[in-house]
Amino acid sequence: MAMGRDRAMAREKTEAAVVAAAAFSEEEESDEAPEEVTFEKAREIAAEGRRLAGERARREKAILKGKRRHREELFKEQKKRKLLPENLLEELASTQNSTNQTSDVLEQDQNVEDEVENHEDSEKHSEEEILATRCPKNYMAVRLKDQDLTSQRQQEAKDFIQRQLYGASCNRTTANQYFSVENKKNAVKKAAIQFVNKSWGKVKKQKANRFTKHWVSSKIIP
Amino acid sequence: MRYGFFWLLRCRKDEALTLRSPPQVGCEDGSVKLFQVLPDRIQFERQLDRQKERILSLSWHPSGTRIAAGSIDRFYIFDIKSGHVSRQILVERRLQGSPSPKCLVWDLAFLSDGTVVSVDSAGKVQFWDSEMGTLLSKHPISKAAVLSVAVAEAEDSLVVGTSEGTVYQFQLLPVKLGGSEHHWVRTRLFRHHTHDVRTVAHTATAFISGGLDGQLVIRPLMEKVESKTYEAALRIVAFPHRCLVSCARRARLLLFQYPQHLELWRLGTTNTFGRPGEVLPVSCPPQNLLQLKAKGPEHIRSSCVSPCGSWIAYSTATRFYLHRVQLTGEQVSINRVLKTPKLNGSAHHLLFSSDSTRLFVASDCGCVHVLSLLQSGACKHLHTLRPNLERSEAVYQLAVSADGKWLSAAGGDRDICIYNLENTKLHCTVPSYGCPVTALAIHPVTNNLIIAHSDQQVFEFSIRDKGYTPWSRKLQQLGLHKDWLERDTPITHIAFRPRHPSHVLLHDTYMFCILDTSLPLHEDAAASKKQAQLVKTTQRNRVHAFKICKRFQPLLFVDFLDDTSLVVVERPLMDIKAQLPPPVYQKKFGT
Repeated sequence: MAMGRDRAMAREKTEAAVVAAAAFSEEEESDEAPEEVTFEKAREIAAEGRRLAGERARREKAILKGKRRHREELFKEQKKRKLLPENLLEELASTQNSTNQTSDVLEQDQNVEDEVENHEDSEKHSEEEILATRCPKNYMAVRLKDQDLTSQRQQEAKDFIQRQLYGASCNRTTANQYFSVENKKNAVKKAAIQFVNKSWGKVKKQKANRFTKHWVSSKIIP
Repeated sequence: MRYGFFWLLRCRKDEALTLRSPPQVGCEDGSVKLFQVLPDRIQFERQLDRQKERILSLSWHPSGTRIAAGSIDRFYIFDIKSGHVSRQILVERRLQGSPSPKCLVWDLAFLSDGTVVSVDSAGKVQFWDSEMGTLLSKHPISKAAVLSVAVAEAEDSLVVGTSEGTVYQFQLLPVKLGGSEHHWVRTRLFRHHTHDVRTVAHTATAFISGGLDGQLVIRPLMEKVESKTYEAALRIVAFPHRCLVSCARRARLLLFQYPQHLELWRLGTTNTFGRPGEVLPVSCPPQNLLQLKAKGPEHIRSSCVSPCGSWIAYSTATRFYLHRVQLTGEQVSINRVLKTPKLNGSAHHLLFSSDSTRLFVASDCGCVHVLSLLQSGACKHLHTLRPNLERSEAVYQLAVSADGKWLSAAGGDRDICIYNLENTKLHCTVPSYGCPVTALAIHPVTNNLIIAHSDQQVFEFSIRDKGYTPWSRKLQQLGLHKDWLERDTPITHIAFRPRHPSHVLLHDTYMFCILDTSLPLHEDAAASKKQAQLVKTTQRNRVHAFKICKRFQPLLFVDFLDDTSLVVVERPLMDIKAQLPPPVYQKKFGT
């Protein structure tokens, strides 16, 4: 029985090998010479391809649409949830109207150049009022643009002072040199301040330490 | 005392203030603006003619009709009525030394006779006739810039400060003895600063100069001082006259107040014992737990840590902040208490009660707010303690008794109010004294209030009896010792030794003193000295109440941690100087 099974397996193996060889030969054949396709068949295939592509695009579009709709619905719901109470909305609307009216009146009075400014002013006012009504009491609304301008000015002024007092033409020394000279001029002569004061010249001292270590090791080993 | 640097900046940022009212002046890039000072606000009035260059300095004519404005390479005389420039005077540039492209008029002084004194970056002091626009005299005094000028009220003397750290005095002196013709003459030179002198002030008898080296120097002019006493001596103020450190005794924490941030440190410990004077090794080094930066450009005005170490409060010029700190082993967590009650104005002084359940906030308007602190981390306003008299001066010193029953508050009008915290009423006031209070403390056992004044006087006031104690009366009778009275700096902190109720610790910048109220005062010892046979014995054990230690200098803070240990915070001046901006180079012979 075992012998028979073995033989059967061997047969299968050989068959598989034959099939593989055949496939191989076929591939080789296709490489060698292209299959002949009639013109009509090719056209049919191309049309089919186009149709499929179109369908796919349509399907994708539909999916996107669905997604968008879903998101919009969500947004609407959120908005509803976030919306301010009715009375506050009404108040806001009324303030906007009133400021617009005042600006209109002013516009009638003045010439065209002033109009633009007034309009801007009124817009600012209304903005402020809206903010005033909308903001909680302990918050303050500030326009960032204005803030930048003042801080820029402040920075400019600071830089000017710095330049004039500590710029290149001011002949400044370092604190180290100054206090070292003072130590030297004292009745009790002392070394430079970076050696007297231990907190000074840390980096330099570390560097010197490292150098001596390196130097010592380089002298000892060879 | 104005701060030169910020003044100039503000000046060009149109929020500036000059010293003379009613109208105040600000100047932006090239424009001079007039402001009206009203009781509750500052109101813009008008703007004078705009000039090309930025305005660096301003000075009013004493009559208030003209104003001198210093700019780059020139200065202007404005007529206030018309708002126009009545005269423009050019200031010459540097002649010797390195050619500087510009000459900045850093400061001006307008005298009542129409003379304008200008000081500039080329190191000149010049006197001009504002009517004719002519130069009267020119004094080149420095190779570096001259930054500030101040004139005496009588207009016979003025001082200028240079960026080399020197101050020169000019005097209006007759050309001939007894003659009528007077000239401005450079007379004296003072060298007290190492860095730029950014601002000077001239009083009737002294001048005051403030430098970038962090010192304020008060120098009496000897010819103006009648009696050459200790009060008329040179004073150098290096540290602010208030306590910048607070200590949490139980938690062994220290809170340091810097201009823009706070630092919380845990003290180190040692487990060995040694002889007096020995330095012991630390078993646990001091540890920086926390650095808390204040938001915005404002400086921190006052700060405090609670005795249990779980709360930190600080205030800037406009706001008050409260933080809750939780220390669990090595971990530190900090949470800001957001819902702090709204208080009018800012806090001048903050103080926690000894059980850390109350926070006292000394306000601008003479009252003290009491806030209650809950274990949950919340804070609420309990009540406001008000003095009987409606006063507007700020309260700047507070002290609370250990049992939480009494609170004393010293204000700018030199009154000390004592409040009963149980019925939240004013208990009594201490009789007013001519000098401001520099430190206050309530004794934990006797509930006596100890008061230190800026003229070095010390008083003890009994809250129960509403009067000075016999010890205090005796001290006043005998007078304080000369060495005690002739100290330079005021007492900034008073503390008590836990298990020795008679020991009081007082400290200033240069010493700390343990005052033993049970010992006789120094006069008693002197009296007993008269007995000839006892001289030696009295000298050997000449015990008097004031025991002074000057070993640690300069001091910021001294306090008892427990009965046997003392914490001393020293701030070496050299460390501060090392961080200063660079000084001007000066050639020294032989270096």
